[in-house]
Amino acid sequence: MSYVAIADQVSELHDPQSFITKYVWSQDHKVIAIQYGTTAVLVGLVALVLSGLMRLQLGFPDTFDFIDPNSYLQFVTMHGMIMVIYLLTALLLGGFGNYLIPLMVGARDMVFPFLNMLSYWSYLLSVIILMASFFVPGGPTGAGWTLYPPQAILPGTPGADWGIILMLVSLGVFIVAFTMGGLNYVTTVLQARARGMTLMRMPLSIWGIFVATILGLLAFPALLVSAVMMMFDKVLATSFFMPALVSLGEHSETVGGSPVLFQHLFWFFGHPEVYIVALPAFGMVSDVLSVHARKNIFGYRMMVWAIVAIGGLSFVVWAHHMYVSGMNPTFGFFFATTTLIIAVPTAIKVYNWVLTLWRGNIHMTIPMIFAIGFIFTFTHGGLTGLFLGNVVIDLPLSDTYFVVAHFHMVMGVSPILVLFAAIYHWFPLASGRMFNERLGQLHFWFTFLGTYAVYLPMHYLGFLGVPRRYFAMGNTDFIPESAQTLNSGITVAALIVGLAQIFFIVNIIISIRGGRKCDKNPWNAASLEWLTPDMPPHHGNWGKTLPEVHRWAYDYSVPGAKDDFIPQTTPESEVVKENT
Amino acid sequence: MKLAVVLVLLVVGSIIFHFVSPWWFTPLASNWGSIDFTINLTFWVTGFVFIAVNLFLAYAVYKFRHDKNRKALYEPENQKLEGWLTAITTLGVISLLAPGLVVWNDFVSVPEEADVIEVVGQQWQWGFRYPGKDGKLGDSDSRHVSMENPLGIDPTDEAGQDDIIVLEHEIHLPIDRPVKTLLRSKDVLHDFAVPQFRVKMDLIPGTVSYLWFTPTVDGTFDILCMELCGIAHHAMRGKIVVESVEKYTEWLSTKPTFAETQNGGKGDPIAGQASFAVCGSCHGQQGEGNMAMNAPQLSGQSPWYLRRQLHNYKNGLRGTHKDDIPGQQMASMAAMLQDDVAIKNVVAYIDSLSAPTPSSTFEGDPEHGKSLYVTCGSCHGKQGQGKFSLGAPKLAGMQDWYLKRQINNFKTGLRGVHKKDNYGSQMILMARMLSSDEAVDDVVSYINTL
Amino acid sequence: MATEETSTVAKTGSGWQSLVSDWSEDKQTFEIHWGKLMMWIFLLGDTFIFTVFLTGYMNVRMSAVDAWPNPSQVFALTLFGTHLPLILIAIMTFVLITSSGTMAMAVNFGYRRDKTKTMVLMLATAALGVMFVSMQVFEWSKLISEGVRPWANPFGAAQFGSTFFMITGFHGLHVSIGVIYLTIVAIKVKKGHYDKKGYEIVEITGLYWHFVDLVWVFIFAFFYLW
Ligand code: HEA
Ligand code: HEA
Ligand code: CUA
Ligand SMILES: [Cu+2]
Repeated sequence: MSYVAIADQVSELHDPQSFITKYVWSQDHKVIAIQYGTTAVLVGLVALVLSGLMRLQLGFPDTFDFIDPNSYLQFVTMHGMIMVIYLLTALLLGGFGNYLIPLMVGARDMVFPFLNMLSYWSYLLSVIILMASFFVPGGPTGAGWTLYPPQAILPGTPGADWGIILMLVSLGVFIVAFTMGGLNYVTTVLQARARGMTLMRMPLSIWGIFVATILGLLAFPALLVSAVMMMFDKVLATSFFMPALVSLGEHSETVGGSPVLFQHLFWFFGHPEVYIVALPAFGMVSDVLSVHARKNIFGYRMMVWAIVAIGGLSFVVWAHHMYVSGMNPTFGFFFATTTLIIAVPTAIKVYNWVLTLWRGNIHMTIPMIFAIGFIFTFTHGGLTGLFLGNVVIDLPLSDTYFVVAHFHMVMGVSPILVLFAAIYHWFPLASGRMFNERLGQLHFWFTFLGTYAVYLPMHYLGFLGVPRRYFAMGNTDFIPESAQTLNSGITVAALIVGLAQIFFIVNIIISIRGGRKCDKNPWNAASLEWLTPDMPPHHGNWGKTLPEVHRWAYDYSVPGAKDDFIPQTTPESEVVKENT
Repeated sequence: MKLAVVLVLLVVGSIIFHFVSPWWFTPLASNWGSIDFTINLTFWVTGFVFIAVNLFLAYAVYKFRHDKNRKALYEPENQKLEGWLTAITTLGVISLLAPGLVVWNDFVSVPEEADVIEVVGQQWQWGFRYPGKDGKLGDSDSRHVSMENPLGIDPTDEAGQDDIIVLEHEIHLPIDRPVKTLLRSKDVLHDFAVPQFRVKMDLIPGTVSYLWFTPTVDGTFDILCMELCGIAHHAMRGKIVVESVEKYTEWLSTKPTFAETQNGGKGDPIAGQASFAVCGSCHGQQGEGNMAMNAPQLSGQSPWYLRRQLHNYKNGLRGTHKDDIPGQQMASMAAMLQDDVAIKNVVAYIDSLSAPTPSSTFEGDPEHGKSLYVTCGSCHGKQGQGKFSLGAPKLAGMQDWYLKRQINNFKTGLRGVHKKDNYGSQMILMARMLSSDEAVDDVVSYINTL
Repeated sequence: MATEETSTVAKTGSGWQSLVSDWSEDKQTFEIHWGKLMMWIFLLGDTFIFTVFLTGYMNVRMSAVDAWPNPSQVFALTLFGTHLPLILIAIMTFVLITSSGTMAMAVNFGYRRDKTKTMVLMLATAALGVMFVSMQVFEWSKLISEGVRPWANPFGAAQFGSTFFMITGFHGLHVSIGVIYLTIVAIKVKKGHYDKKGYEIVEITGLYWHFVDLVWVFIFAFFYLW
């Protein structure tokens, strides 16, 4: 039948002319990526401020009039939800996915740019709806980012009348947006690669984003459906998740629903979701490490299989969030086993990152130090995951600050460090300029040390048994006074780290205009995105002819070759030999 | 270079932090030493991995830092090495998982001889039920829940009649006897957790979950609700007293059976009128209250609340603090009411009095108060009408000076500190959100507008 | 030399690895138009949506406390005095299956670049879709008039109403979208919009439509036969 592989198509490019089509209603994946990125970072900052407010209450209880149990729970919920969905998922896939995929696989753009554009605008809409919930009567929902029914839609929980509805709608819109983008990412990776770019030659960034997107496409449906059902329960008084109950003295009409069903659906989405934010980070950090260590990524094939394995396994571990949910406890055996199995492929990745540095030639650039920081924090966070995964240990630790510490270590800082590494690493490509080194240093040291100071002590609060989602601990006969001092310490650290993000923002702002113009491929990277005819790449990325790929993305310090890197587009014949 | 050093310091620092930190598991008070064992095992295995991996990382970062006349090694893969690492990790994981599953098996299988008790959660109270003589718990269903039957026990079920009902948040357990707690919720998810026992499990409306443990240490232990259940989640507390079987049985004998709780008759206003004469001398003949005498308005307040407070005064739950002068007066007064019948009667009489609307005695900012009241309203009702099901008294139409003083009493610990005063202790936690005097004035002045 | 060995990382190895390397071929993974692949992936996700819906349905149906209404009663229809259980559904299902047939033919003519026939057949398919939806509307209004509501119904378990309206509604939405999609494409076909691009689009539209039919078969089985 009459069709040509995209890589072989002769493309007729008519660049958009007007400002509007170029930067607003743009269909260029690079512009869309920037739009996604900035929006995500802005909501991220909101979530950051919320975390600051939470910390103020926890660190210095009974001091702030404007934080009461009501608003506290709202802060917690919005903080968690924004960070996980609207910041990380959007920034990693919508932002970096969009920017990197076509450039790294050698395509002119996503296969379906128009859909891609719609994706961003729907995402923006979902963000607006979410933010609107701060201004409706009763404020945003305070049901926790897990939105467990019945409590999420009953009086006695903040925002149980309007907040929750807006939250569900916003999530729905977000899922639509993600699907439109996701279809593009997957199809582009599968069908639009340049000549010679086999799957097994793709940079790990692409592998991470690719698998994460597939996870998303298969996991979000569960969230969508549970959101629809909860909406029914809320608006039409149906009984999907609502058994017969007595809410604040009122007998409910509902009967026969099952709250645990929601938890299963939520976590069937929720667990893959945490890997959706982890895998792209895994991928990008691999590339950053390899480039700046001037050494090929160690065990590339294992790394790919590890990503795929983690992706697959992540669909059969969800109930490890429900060990103490009152579900049939015998499930614990199965889910504990699958959960701990995940440690093995993840371990392989950790080892291979370290072994990539081993006998490398490490340049301590800003992206690199962030990447190395990631290895440290992620190992720590992952290992605490093994506590929680081992079902009996979860018994005392579940719903305490140990869990909070665990997921901030793996999710609240590790992918964040990678994000920063990636932003600094690809900033020259996107802007054609260099960022400010000193500010970058400051940003790293504050964020890395600061976050560790925030999260390490939290584990110990967890060991003590301090519960999460508590407005105030009050007095108990097992928590020593000193715990409060510890909490204040955490708060101070957190506020410092939060403020330190100013270094980053200032750096970006001044560097975009005022940064030193840098020459092409400043890091001497071998992967395709740096090999565009002009930098920053123009619309269509590759000028007249698409690139042709002759090798994998990691030919650094190849013996016999003169330079310490061989671009992917260089055929064997043209490799400049070492003059011995 | 710098980073390598810092990494080492972080590892060392973490180790030091671990050893100096006073924050660790509370001393075990149950049979679940095996859980502590698995935790420690995991801690040391993962701890070792953490140290090993990161020190190696630091060393690599230091040893192979940039040097322009060295070229990195070109080594795509080393399957032998990777194979080994995978194998070792797998072993490590197995060594963690195996013991875990064994212990979990113990947790899942409850011993035959375990005593059964029921824990009922509601926003934001605990309720408890013991099987009584026949050793069987009667059926229950949220449909039966009512003012007289807060646990929703089926009145028609024989097995339920002798069940022992405990509504204060403190229960007692015999030492060294395995207990199986059946967990059920009236409204939303809750979680029954006792850190010293190392166990926790959610309470789910509509189904019954369970857990089991054997208390092994005398003493009092906190019950915390560890599943988010709304605004007062953090204030949903309880206590377990572990003691000798004798003490335990004695304690249990003082608790009413379900049947007994059902035949509580109404009080007799006529009889109550006589005893009220005394009260009237301070509170006013219409129970309208008298600021000069520090005596609050009584008429219009919900009878169940007045009854509870009179009992509290009588039994030393309230009005015992040395700085609570009016409270002490009231305590001595309440002592004059011989028994529950007397209390019921006088309350019945007060209930028959017509309630005047008090005038406000100070200024506040109702607008600001309104926003603060959102939290209060979830228990005391949006209109301040009070909610029996949450044990929250009526606030609307009560005298502002009195409300203000009580809020401050809660904040300063003049009221609600008694171990048995569970509603009081909850109110303490909530009152703390009004950190400034202005806040108190504002919220009270808003309540006045209701 | 080293680079050779690695520049063909995928190609090395044997057995299942070489299988992988064929699969991970140069340029594109599947020998099909990207649009078709995209539709397949979308349908995979959509499959998950309906799977979760039906799982939820089964779950609530089992946990429901009241008895589940008997479908052959609830969905019965009295035509010309005779009481016919499931008759309407039979017709609806028939209509939808037929539409799949017309769609298949449309695809065929599409590749033969017979614009008129393609358009006609696609519009026919759309028309059948409209028929289906309108019959569904009829059934809904019938049930509603009999007092079936999402939150309660006279026949038994409340969950019957909630799941029925939610799932058939969601499917009906799919059909309606499909109708619009079909019409747009049909017109564009006629306009010769795809002469250069090629006629995969017709097949892609077809994929979606067949999927919607398939889903119906399951819904049918779950709601009317169980
Ligand atoms: C990026 C996100 C991310 C990642 C990667 C992980 C990774 C893991 N998580 Fe985590 N998790 C979350 C995000 C994440 N988690 C979140 C957000 C929550 C809370 C949600 C909520 O309740 O609000 C959560 C909660 C959570 C729970 C539920 C706790 C509870 O609520 O009671 C559990 C329990 O099993 C768990 C386990 C694990 C495990 C076993 C891993 C494993 O994948 C970790 C594997 C990695 C390693 C093990 C480290 C590297 C390995 C080595 C260095 C090898 C050496 C090891 C040995 C030799 C043993 N996580
Ligand atoms: C990506 C996820 C993420 C991130 C980054 C954070 C960051 C932080 N979190 Fe959050 N947190 C969650 C996810 C996250 N959290 C989730 C899911 C919950 C559970 C909610 C629930 O229980 O329902 C939670 C809950 C939670 C709690 C528990 C509240 C409770 O249970 O009562 C606390 C308490 O201290 C806390 C604190 C913090 C702090 C101090 C920070 C940070 O401020 C620490 C410093 C980190 C940084 C400074 C990096 C921030 C960078 C960005 C945010 C990117 C955007 C900004 C720029 C690019 C400049 N968080
Ligand atoms: Cu009950 Cu939290
Ligand atoms: Cu998980």
